[in-house]
Amino acid sequence: MTSPSASADTLLGTDNILEVDDLTMYYKTRGGYVKAVEDITFDLGKQTALGLVGESGCGKTSVAMSLMGLLPGNAEINKGSIRLDGDELVGLTREELRERRWRDIAMVFQGAMNAWNPVYTVGDQIREAIRYHWEPAPSVEVANARIAELFELVGLAPAMLERYPHEFSGGMRQRAVIAMALSCDPKLIIADEPTTALDVIVQEQILKELKKIQDDLGMAIIYISHDIAVIAEVTEQIGIMYAGRLVELGPTPEVFADPRHPYGLLLLRSTPSIKGPRRKLAPLVGEPADLVNPPPGCRFHPRCPLAEERCAQETPVMEEVSPGHQVACFYWERTAELDIEGV
Amino acid sequence: MLKFIGRRLLQMAFLFVLFLTILFFLLQAQPGDISSQFVGNPEIPPEAKEILRERLGLNESLWGQYTTFIINFFKLDFGVSFTEYPREVSDILLSRLPRTVVLFLTATLLAYWMGFATGKLVAWRRNTKLEHVVTVTGIFLYTVFYPWFAIMMLWIFAANLGWFPVGKFITPSVWNNAPFEANQVFNRMIVVAVLFALFVGVVWYLTRRIGDLDRRKWLRRGIAAGGLVVVAFYWMGSDMRTYAADIAHHTVLPVVTLALVFFAQITLLTRSSMLETLREDYILTARAKGIPERVVRDRHAARNALLPVTTSFVLALAAVIGGGIVTESIFSWPGIGLALLNAVLVEDIPLAIGGLALIGLLSLVGHLIVDILYTFLDPRIRYS
Ligand SMILES: Nc1ncnc2c1ncn2[C@@H]1O[C@H](COP(=O)(O)OP(=O)(O)OP(=O)(O)O)[C@@H](O)[C@H]1O
Ligand SMILES: [Mg+2]
Repeated sequence: MTSPSASADTLLGTDNILEVDDLTMYYKTRGGYVKAVEDITFDLGKQTALGLVGESGCGKTSVAMSLMGLLPGNAEINKGSIRLDGDELVGLTREELRERRWRDIAMVFQGAMNAWNPVYTVGDQIREAIRYHWEPAPSVEVANARIAELFELVGLAPAMLERYPHEFSGGMRQRAVIAMALSCDPKLIIADEPTTALDVIVQEQILKELKKIQDDLGMAIIYISHDIAVIAEVTEQIGIMYAGRLVELGPTPEVFADPRHPYGLLLLRSTPSIKGPRRKLAPLVGEPADLVNPPPGCRFHPRCPLAEERCAQETPVMEEVSPGHQVACFYWERTAELDIEGV
Repeated sequence: MLKFIGRRLLQMAFLFVLFLTILFFLLQAQPGDISSQFVGNPEIPPEAKEILRERLGLNESLWGQYTTFIINFFKLDFGVSFTEYPREVSDILLSRLPRTVVLFLTATLLAYWMGFATGKLVAWRRNTKLEHVVTVTGIFLYTVFYPWFAIMMLWIFAANLGWFPVGKFITPSVWNNAPFEANQVFNRMIVVAVLFALFVGVVWYLTRRIGDLDRRKWLRRGIAAGGLVVVAFYWMGSDMRTYAADIAHHTVLPVVTLALVFFAQITLLTRSSMLETLREDYILTARAKGIPERVVRDRHAARNALLPVTTSFVLALAAVIGGGIVTESIFSWPGIGLALLNAVLVEDIPLAIGGLALIGLLSLVGHLIVDILYTFLDPRIRYS
């Protein structure tokens, strides 16, 4: 499936830190296979931030976990490849994946309030990550010095190092998680709803700081969030997922200004925007697709106002609509019809 | 910490007095006073009866009797046994105390240690044959009628296979003309065991920072085995060895029987506690950090699963005491439980009360130890 130009890129070394090709991952359950990730393809440039959005249950966390090599026992990557800095990750043994985890890809979790083990100090838990990934493992003093630096970077007092998680507020815990994610200089950080549990003001602060840290340290970040406004602010690229598939991918400003997939449009416009004109459009109706027995053809067609007969028979593939902007829809040119600007 | 212990000690003293008060009123609820139990006993001379009445404060008012009763307890004056007259109850109980403590403590520690290790492993290997076998065995041991189980153990391993003596603490024929008292030898055994435990504890503490887990494990095991060899040599060179061996031989079966039942309980509890812990977010964090699975299991999951298992001890205490009394009577183990049971049967009231009070005191001490241990295990308690 790789195009000639893609393989030439690989040979010459590209500017991409992450290249995901045709990634397909199913969960095996009693009711059948949950087709949570299907044919996902995207590249991520060094030092870029990509936002991944979509309704609850569309497979965002599943993509993240596949990248981390942290899938549960019933999950299976059926095909595809994940190349991190040129190295293939699919097919590595558990032990090889473990060694790379946190050293190459770190993660800030959904619901990080309980991300800390209550019986160890925060410093202890960060040292643990350092001890298993730095070569050679540093002394406690060296590790502590590094953690103190990171604490200052994320806005925590270095003295908090030897405190227990219950002595931290929610926002402080999340900052500490970010410090921990930075502790092994990863090439990529995945932030899966990093701030959902926090209040709005703290959310803002933390995301801004994360953005600043990214600019300073220059790693790539994948943001996963329901909060589309946040994604718009901190990412260069945005990917829209529907029912396990990537349906639209492109530069954030362009996708926001001019979404070409009907789902992308309805999703982006369904969040009220304070700036900009008010819009009238067809609401996003219906239930999210069942991932065990997804609809044939385009998975969105049962809910799509533009759907034609063809949509239920053929599966649309990603197609470039403008440089760097891809859409998986047969009728993307008509999408704009839905976006009627109102008063 | 000291403040915490001080507060707990005060609470304990209060509870103990409450316990004694209840005992006192139970005693009062009997027909007559307790002297009527020995009025007809021809072996007790009349002067002694009068002295006893005096010492028990039976000539005083109810309130006076009550205060005498309580104060005597704190002076460790439990009175004189009726059946072993004129032996002091405190003397009888103290000579039996080490045997009961050893039985309880060894069985409990063994049960917790093995039960925790098994429960942890079984939860980690969820849905394997191992899990099913262990869970079913555990439920059997947990629900079995304990006296029946103890008798079966005795019947199989002592009566039929002859591996162990049928109950009791020593074999009289071995101890004919022995230069030592049984308690002397037993105390020496306890001292050696405690020293060995301390040694192991120190080794564990000193090796805790060794990063290579396999090396640490084998180093610890090696040093502990070395310590065992030293202990073995000590006993071989000691002139107490035949007697110590005889006591040890008698100790195994009751300890194992009592331990097995609690082992089952701890295994089941650890399993469910561990399964719950494994669902926590911090386990996902630990996995994401890319630390070895064994570290996730032991340092993160098991360490937290230990908390409810530790508190369960307080609740298990009543069962441990009940089980202990049954064990002592079935194995004729001359401890406090057996003394208590006999005292109740022959209405040796001072001995019975003394036994009850001591058991109450022991369980309060057990409770205190668990509370202190817990503050070390859970920092959320330690600092609040
Ligand atoms: N371990 C699992 N076994 C079976 N199915 C699973 C498992 N984990 C997730 N799923 C299913 O896979 C689908 C995708 O889940 P995923 O958590 O990736 O969604 P998400 O986009 O992250 O949702 P949210 O926004 O709510 O976090 C869902 O339908 C979910 O029920
Ligand atoms: Mg998710």
